[in-house]
Amino acid sequence: MENKMIVPFGSQHITLLEPVRFIFETENEKIVNVDVDVGYVHRGIEKACQTKLNYKQVAYIIPRICGLCAMSHALAYITAVEKILEFDPPKKAKYLRVLVHELDRIHSHLFAMAHVAEAAGYENLVMHLFRDRELAMECLEILTGNRVQYDYGCIGGVNRDLTPEVEKILRKKLKKLEDRIHWFKDLYMNDYTLSLRWKGIGVISKEMAEKYNAAGPVARASGVRTDARAEFDALPYRDLGFEMIVYKDGDIYSRNLVRLDEIFVSLRIIWNILDGLPEGNYKEEVKGLPKGESVCRWEAPRGELFMHVRGDGKQILTRVRVKTPTFSNIPVLRELFVGANYADVPAIITSFDPCMSCTAR
Amino acid sequence: MYKNFEVIESSLEKIKEDIKNFYDPSKYHFITINAIDLGNGKVNIKWFFAKYEVMDKPIAFSVDATYEDTIPSIVDIIPSAWLSEAELADLFGLNIEGAKKGLFLEPDSPPAPLRRS
Repeated sequence: MENKMIVPFGSQHITLLEPVRFIFETENEKIVNVDVDVGYVHRGIEKACQTKLNYKQVAYIIPRICGLCAMSHALAYITAVEKILEFDPPKKAKYLRVLVHELDRIHSHLFAMAHVAEAAGYENLVMHLFRDRELAMECLEILTGNRVQYDYGCIGGVNRDLTPEVEKILRKKLKKLEDRIHWFKDLYMNDYTLSLRWKGIGVISKEMAEKYNAAGPVARASGVRTDARAEFDALPYRDLGFEMIVYKDGDIYSRNLVRLDEIFVSLRIIWNILDGLPEGNYKEEVKGLPKGESVCRWEAPRGELFMHVRGDGKQILTRVRVKTPTFSNIPVLRELFVGANYADVPAIITSFDPCMSCTAR
Repeated sequence: MYKNFEVIESSLEKIKEDIKNFYDPSKYHFITINAIDLGNGKVNIKWFFAKYEVMDKPIAFSVDATYEDTIPSIVDIIPSAWLSEAELADLFGLNIEGAKKGLFLEPDSPPAPLRRS
């Protein structure tokens, strides 16, 4: 006998870090239809960027879109503006941008993995992940001066150099972090509880990921070979040992493994930067007012961040558009729910690592 | 004008057909749709795409329209476009076929906040 129910999920829910509302229509615990509302935290940031702030000030407001991937937002915007101004930042600045950006990815991925573990009830793993994420946060703090909103990038380069003293501390902390990531990898590969809860759950096929244009680890866990670091010429990833991580199963387990393996890639890139940081300026003066249109595709921790900027030769830009990774992943998430078991909803949502502050802006 | 992406000019009448002929979901990633208020009731709309796994410039289909025009939906070609279309319907007040309103703005929000006029 069918038992149809309408189940509201959010906008406030124990699983959700930020407000988003799903309305599930269920039949005997199976979801048969879903509606979604993503606009609870719309703050009008794009409006502010094109009416109240000059183009240099925007570089310090755009990171406030998100606490976790502030560096991605800032650098994507800065890169787009530099493209309009036809300014090529110093090589050292590019390397330092990659360094901070990859540290950002590490702590964001560990945060996401902890969140998924929490939804599975694996509290012990949550504590381990958060404790070791702290190492990445400490690296960011000592390098940039802040734990969350770094304001490290600027139009023309970066705001701080890497001193030998800071480099020494970074090496020590990163070595410890790398050892811990190996420990996590062993755990994720061999722990029966994790595979039992996550394997075969929330499966997105490659065709579905392409059809709904999934982004980031969600797409790569489904076999889609896409990563803005390999597709958009913004930073010297080719020189620094970048490797695209792709899994095929498309389930929650694969999304976790993509993030875990990407931390190894990020660490390798960071070691290469520390071993071969170019000499020279970390910042140069940029003159002129932006006139023209440019875009930037940026691989934020959650996936492709897209920035579209237009200036008409004035201090205030005509248009600043931010398309965030979660914005790309909402359509595939909605489709994925249809046919899923309602009990899997928290695990599926957290495995997407959604950010509603980014999505609504 | 366009510093680092390719632009294919189209029109409201042709845009859907142009995208249908161009888009192969296994080769191209649909990024988003964006609008720019040009003033005097005019708006420029761009549909952005990028190739998978190739270091290449993004591609945009560009159309100039007015706020009175009805913008064709591409959801039947690219199902994930509904969210981008809903956003433009809210933030620019564009008349996009079938686009859901009220997803990004609350009922008491100022309408079409990204319009310049």
